[in-house]
Amino acid sequence: MEKTKQWGWSPQWRKCCRGRKRKNTLHPHKERQHLPVAAEQNRQRWLFAVYKPPGVAWNRVRDAVETRLLRELNAAPAWPPRSRIRFLPAASAGPPGLVAVRVPVLAEHRLVRGPRFTQLKIGAGHRLDVKASGVFVLGVGHGNKILSHLYNCHLSKVYTVRGQFGKATKDFSDTGKLIEKTTFDHITREKLERILAVIQGTNHKALLMHSNIDMKTQEAYELAVKGLIRPMGKSPPIITAIRCLQFALPEFQLEIHCLHETQQYLRKIVHEIGLELKSSAVCTQVRRTRDGVFTLDDALLRTQWNLQSIQNAILNCQLRVKTEIEKTMSHWDGTCAPGGTSTSPLG
Amino acid sequence: VGTALSITSAACGYGFTLLSSDTTDITKVWGTGLNKDSQLGFQRSIRDRTKGYEYVLEPSPIPLPLEEPQKTRVLQVSCGRAHSLILTDSEGVFTMGNNSYGQCGRKVVEDEVYSESHLIHQLNDFDSRVVQVVCGQDHSLFRTKKGAVFACGWGADGQTGLGHYNITSVPTKLGGDIAGVNIIQVSSYGDCCLAVSDEGDLFGWGNSEYLQLASVTETTQVNVPRHLPFKIGKIKEAACGGTGNIVLTEEGSVFVWGYGILGKGPNLTETAVPEMIPPSLFGWSDFSPDVRVARVRCGLSHFAALTNRGELFVWGKNLRGCLGIGRMEDQYFPWRVTIPGEVVDVACGVDHMVSMVKSFM
Repeated sequence: MEKTKQWGWSPQWRKCCRGRKRKNTLHPHKERQHLPVAAEQNRQRWLFAVYKPPGVAWNRVRDAVETRLLRELNAAPAWPPRSRIRFLPAASAGPPGLVAVRVPVLAEHRLVRGPRFTQLKIGAGHRLDVKASGVFVLGVGHGNKILSHLYNCHLSKVYTVRGQFGKATKDFSDTGKLIEKTTFDHITREKLERILAVIQGTNHKALLMHSNIDMKTQEAYELAVKGLIRPMGKSPPIITAIRCLQFALPEFQLEIHCLHETQQYLRKIVHEIGLELKSSAVCTQVRRTRDGVFTLDDALLRTQWNLQSIQNAILNCQLRVKTEIEKTMSHWDGTCAPGGTSTSPLG
Repeated sequence: VGTALSITSAACGYGFTLLSSDTTDITKVWGTGLNKDSQLGFQRSIRDRTKGYEYVLEPSPIPLPLEEPQKTRVLQVSCGRAHSLILTDSEGVFTMGNNSYGQCGRKVVEDEVYSESHLIHQLNDFDSRVVQVVCGQDHSLFRTKKGAVFACGWGADGQTGLGHYNITSVPTKLGGDIAGVNIIQVSSYGDCCLAVSDEGDLFGWGNSEYLQLASVTETTQVNVPRHLPFKIGKIKEAACGGTGNIVLTEEGSVFVWGYGILGKGPNLTETAVPEMIPPSLFGWSDFSPDVRVARVRCGLSHFAALTNRGELFVWGKNLRGCLGIGRMEDQYFPWRVTIPGEVVDVACGVDHMVSMVKSFM
């Protein structure tokens, strides 16, 4: 056979690998994977939430979870290796000829093949920036497709934001470059409430405008009953509810329910509240307490990033995620969904 | 108002508002709005000391002829089309305004001129202390501590409930299905009246042209209180509007019936049987399952509901923006009003609303 170069992007190499990449099977020369492995992968089809600590980028968290999971999956006891009959030459002491001997198949030994799992597809939901912390949704395997459906549901997220009056910085947080300092003795809780009511009122109007529904129709009533009046496409950040939890000058804590936002937008809101109150404010903490159906109780701490707790978390959340997606999608399926997809999400 | 007092009761009439505080100061009641029939008492004009104002543009104190002005407290105020009632704790009920149908509880005087009148009538002759006063369009209802209901005023729609369609100028006790029943709440704003007993039963009388009482009778005017046998549970509070009625049950469910914008979308315009409004419209959800409606109020063509979280939801016809939702269109289902505080009580009028709000502290 003539020697053809099979490496790089030559057509022969691509033909050899094309089928493997598409059908997600192993290279034809390697052994097929065992059934128990496939069963474990079948179980990890859905979503779970993790508590992202502040000061860490979100992709590092995702990588850390992936590494831990891989380590635990590979440490699980493997099936005993297969054995086959080989005809080996007889021992020197007996009659000459071939003797049938049962030997283990070395090609399947862990040290020969390498670890069973080298990569897990873990996708991340709504991202959190470095300074923020809180509920961070991850999806394993098939859960990635569910993640995109959850994104199209446009569920609201809840944040607790802590702020401090008296300072204004360049990036609206307390670690940025200081620009100005102001007094804040004149600020009362009542004034803060008034500002929050104004913010809520304007965002309420924006919510209606971007949802593109006419309030006079029966459809609008039905959507409101189900709680589905929200923008189903791209829209600027909208705050659906905001209230003050604690107020102790100079610090205050707000609870914000919002859609399509970024954490920097929330910090900017704190800065603008400070400006409205004729003072200045910086944001000291942004913490996501709920992301769609995942609350703080469902989020796993770093000590819990192991296989067992992740599996338990997935099982706990499965039903909730399914009902939420069905509730939203069943309304928009069949009708012209403004901006969202209309494929059936659950396979 | 300009004082540090807290307003305890407010009422909206047809173009005017009354605010009252339960203080022992001399000034207990303020009024603003139309005063063409002296429904706000005599407001002395600054320019001409003999004349009074026909339109009061800011809350002005209403002088009351009290025997002990520094001891008596004003418990509640109520306003009708052109008359008002003020309830005190020890000196009975004071009425002022238009009396062409006897709604002020005094004898009708022919060709009486009501504007710039100093007359404030005092009513004290009931079987026990009056605990609630309610004004309909041109009639008045008084509920006493013993659970009896008295009425006076116009009766052409049977809204006095006394068995006839004439006017009554002296408060008379009602009979019918509520005789002997301990009534804990009465409500009226137009020409229909509702009463709730302590056992959770509902009684209605008055105008029924809009199917408000069509579940018990086909006639359009009912002049004797009739029991309304709705199987919706024990009723806690009822409110009557011009064409629609709303009740709140013990479990916190809200039911509406009648005609007009009832709160279940533009398709439901009239029904004789109460329909429930889904609690998810009032903020109830899986994440906050303890949100319940605490109070319901009714204006002439709009409704208001207060939840236990202090949130105000309004729906109905939006005359001149009275709903306060930021838009001028009618609202066909309950919509939240953004208010910087916790709403304690709400009073609905024809085309304006007053809400008493407590700051969050």
